[in-house]
Amino acid sequence: MSKLSEAIASFCEKYALLNKSAVVAENIVKKPVFGCQDCGQCVLSHDAFTCPMRCPKQIRNGPCGGTREKGFCEVYPDRRCIWWLINERSKKMGRQGKLRKYHIPVDRRLERTSAWLNMFAGRILPMDLGKELKEVELIKKDPPPMR
Amino acid sequence: MSNFERLLNQGEFVVCGEMGPPQSADKAAIIRKCDYFRGVVDAVNLTDNQTAIVRMSSIMASVFVVEGGLEPIMQMTCRDRNRLALQSDILGAYAAGIENILCLTGDYQTFGNHPEAKGVFDLDSVQLIHTLREMNEGRFLSGDEIKAPPKMFIGGAANPFAEPLDLRIIRLGKKIRAGANFIQTQPVFDFVKFDKWIKAVRDEGYDQQVHIIAGVMPVKSVKALEYMRESVPGMSIADEYISRMKSAADPKEEGVAICVETIKRLHKTQGVKGVHIMPVLWESITPRIVEEAELLPRPILTSPHQEEVEVQ
Ligand code: SF4
Repeated sequence: MSKLSEAIASFCEKYALLNKSAVVAENIVKKPVFGCQDCGQCVLSHDAFTCPMRCPKQIRNGPCGGTREKGFCEVYPDRRCIWWLINERSKKMGRQGKLRKYHIPVDRRLERTSAWLNMFAGRILPMDLGKELKEVELIKKDPPPMR
Repeated sequence: MSNFERLLNQGEFVVCGEMGPPQSADKAAIIRKCDYFRGVVDAVNLTDNQTAIVRMSSIMASVFVVEGGLEPIMQMTCRDRNRLALQSDILGAYAAGIENILCLTGDYQTFGNHPEAKGVFDLDSVQLIHTLREMNEGRFLSGDEIKAPPKMFIGGAANPFAEPLDLRIIRLGKKIRAGANFIQTQPVFDFVKFDKWIKAVRDEGYDQQVHIIAGVMPVKSVKALEYMRESVPGMSIADEYISRMKSAADPKEEGVAICVETIKRLHKTQGVKGVHIMPVLWESITPRIVEEAELLPRPILTSPHQEEVEVQ
């Protein structure tokens, strides 16, 4: 991201109260609306605003080979496969092309940190609201100083 | 380079077998089973705690298969190991002469015999393929250099029968971009779905970028088919096979006949580069099937796979 956003992120991360507020604010929005699982490296904008971390196998590049008929989950037959939902919604929103991106392994240090701040700091993929897939290279950066 | 890889590059129609390691420390059982496969298949898959049931490790079973004079395809799941363990096992496996690997996410732990276990799933199968490509190129996932890197032939799985088709094809593309060299599929018992899938694969040009190896499974009874239809998520079995098995005077013979027919049809299918025969607890039938499918003798390759390991 930009120098400015990095400055904002590092400012917020310096103060425990600001940092906490960012996490809380984010959770209030993302948990009930998108089923956010707090991985701290949000891919909602790629996956039709449906959190893939709800998959019992936490597959970021799904679905697994076990999806049942009509898109029910292998592990919990009474739930929809999260990837089935992502696919359906992506199609409806004209965003299926975005599913072509493969997501690299999760940085577990970012769990329970604010994805917004991580995005400002340039630690994770920027939010990508366009319909087409934009390929962005991610540069490895240190995790936030506090959780 | 593994013989399996060489054969595929030469355009041979390859044959893979499959062996489940024993639920014990019985090495002799593996060596004994090697006899069914020698000269009959080009490589043998060694499953990794399949269906989440504890068995001898696929790495050591693969090592014993090398001793038994065969080439292994070591299966590796993300269920039981985090990225440290996966990478260290890959280094060890390659050093022991294993050069083919199949990356899987893994069956969920609650389906197995230790349902109380913690599933790891630090990576998923696409990310494991990515990790292997990085390692082949001399980097750990951390970015650190590997001085003597492995050179694994990387495989992934695909299920042509689970829905939805469009997403399955997208995911196959991810595996290819992540670095997969070959793909093995679930066993084919439904050509309507399989033909649709392989056509979609060809339309994307994926059959040119990765070797597709189709699965087949000989079954002994109609019960086995019905069980798969009902209890194995993501499987599809055409009614035709159920009724054929039901009305057969000798179901075992019919099972073999269906399997041979399926292989012959796959052999003629454009985009399919080989078959993967996976008899569950019936490994001894493999030679007969390969013979009746007119895939014998198997091409013999000269250089044994140990060479390159020792050079380093
Ligand atoms: S069926 Fe879908 S939600 Fe269930 S484990 Fe597989 S990928 Fe995850």
